[in-house]
Amino acid sequence: MSGFTSPDFWFGMLTIAAIYAIFTLGVQLNIGFTGITNLGQSGFMAVGAYTMALLVLCAEWPFLLACVVALGVTALFAVLLGLPSLRLPDDYFAIVTLAAASIVVIVGQNLVSITGGNNGLFGFDASWVELQTRILTWLEPLGLGDQFALPLVLVAWAIFIVLALSLRGLQRTPWGRVLRGIREDEVATEALGKNVLLYKLQSLAIAGMCAAVAGFLMALNLSVVYPNSFNVDVMFTATAVLLLCGLGNYLGIAYGALLMWVVLEGARFADLPMTSDRVAALRMLIIGIVLIVTAMYRPQGLFGNKQEMVLRG
Amino acid sequence: MAEILRVDSLGKSFAGVAAVADATFEVEERSITALIGPNGAGKTTTFNVISGSMPGDHGSIWYGGHDIGGLRGYQIARLGLMRTFQMPRVMVAMTVMDNLLLAGREHPGERLIGLLRPHASRQTESELRSRARELLERVGLADKVNEYGGALSGGQRKLLELARLLMARPRMVLLDEPLAGINPALGLKLMKFIHQVRAEDATTFLFIEHDIGAVMRNADHVVVMAQGAVIARGTPDEVRHDPAVVDAYLGTKRMVIP
Repeated sequence: MSGFTSPDFWFGMLTIAAIYAIFTLGVQLNIGFTGITNLGQSGFMAVGAYTMALLVLCAEWPFLLACVVALGVTALFAVLLGLPSLRLPDDYFAIVTLAAASIVVIVGQNLVSITGGNNGLFGFDASWVELQTRILTWLEPLGLGDQFALPLVLVAWAIFIVLALSLRGLQRTPWGRVLRGIREDEVATEALGKNVLLYKLQSLAIAGMCAAVAGFLMALNLSVVYPNSFNVDVMFTATAVLLLCGLGNYLGIAYGALLMWVVLEGARFADLPMTSDRVAALRMLIIGIVLIVTAMYRPQGLFGNKQEMVLRG
Repeated sequence: MAEILRVDSLGKSFAGVAAVADATFEVEERSITALIGPNGAGKTTTFNVISGSMPGDHGSIWYGGHDIGGLRGYQIARLGLMRTFQMPRVMVAMTVMDNLLLAGREHPGERLIGLLRPHASRQTESELRSRARELLERVGLADKVNEYGGALSGGQRKLLELARLLMARPRMVLLDEPLAGINPALGLKLMKFIHQVRAEDATTFLFIEHDIGAVMRNADHVVVMAQGAVIARGTPDEVRHDPAVVDAYLGTKRMVIP
């Protein structure tokens, strides 16, 4: 069990938890606050990461500018996907978005000349390495100057907090109230003169941008943009994080993501008498058990609002 | 008086069965008009097509000089033609106040770009809040302001739905069976409230109702539908003595008792 005492384990876990937390913020906006079951979030993540990497590598844009433009491209992709699919009943919308996410990964794997296929894209993170070094010099006086994994942890959680607080603020505006109305009863909301499709598109585009940010961080964490890091498992793990946290809460996602990843990463270090691929399979089993136990004993999640859930029946 | 709504040979079929075959009628501005007819006559379908909830197959709908035939539901609502539902559609997991505030019109804070002008949004919000309190007072739900919509009884939900819609100051309101499922005392109050709103805001009401007594007492005009078509129009008295209406309502009885 020596792995638990190493800082690398904790920093690695904290980074991946932050990436999943940011990713799940968008899912919370869609499923928890708008009532649209977006299962394509991992596809938006891939679109954001690939666009960023390609703009840096092929067009030689500065990293931050590439990130900003990639956010816009992902939002546009979300709107184009949403325009036909958001007119469908919600369960069909879920299937379409899931399929779209799979298509993005398959394109990433097979459009080898542009995406590098399964080798992925490298070398887009020079400016990040620079920034990382600068953050490490700031950390020097604290005696943390040699913890190379720490800057990404700090940046990722800072981004999570800013995004979570902004989304929470947005949810408390009249705009957020219309989203809640759509979640409760979209027919009635439309009858009150609200352009339901427009609000759903905005919700989906913002969620897509959250996924893109998670995609940038994932790319920095792995130093590669690689199709399998955006596969559908990401979406399912995030859904588990969401249900663990509960619907209708942004900041609680942090706890859900941390809990999930302590368990998932910790499973690697438990001295189990089995091969490593079986331990990997065990992680999926753990997610399943967490979901079942949550649904049985705390259906509203850790931070969900039980009363609203009961009222909605 | 001028007409505010004209429905012209409207038709709507579901899987080959005509729910509305040929409905033609008009509604006078500032009137309280009832739409009656036996079950299955096509009244609710007519409402659904007028309000843009579903497209009609043929015919035209004119409202306030606009052809609203192809418009979406929210566009029609924004023109001031709004509706309630047979089963009241209250947001159960939102508070009564939030239900009302949701209906505010042209709220800058409801647009992402408008949020950049927080002052304008706050001002609209506080205006809507005081209007909401006033409306809740008038329909007798003032003490429920912070309750969830789901905590209200069926009758209270109908009152909330009507108050919510009036937040948007509609020019014409379609009510789908406002008196069904609520106790007679509340029903009287609701009809009184409708008369008041008409007097104060010049609002036009078109309502579907099965309680013929209430229709005769409250409506200025009555439109009678049977089997998807309008079979009679006129004042309550004219309609009551129309042989076609008597036939439509009593026709089934004649078959049972030859």
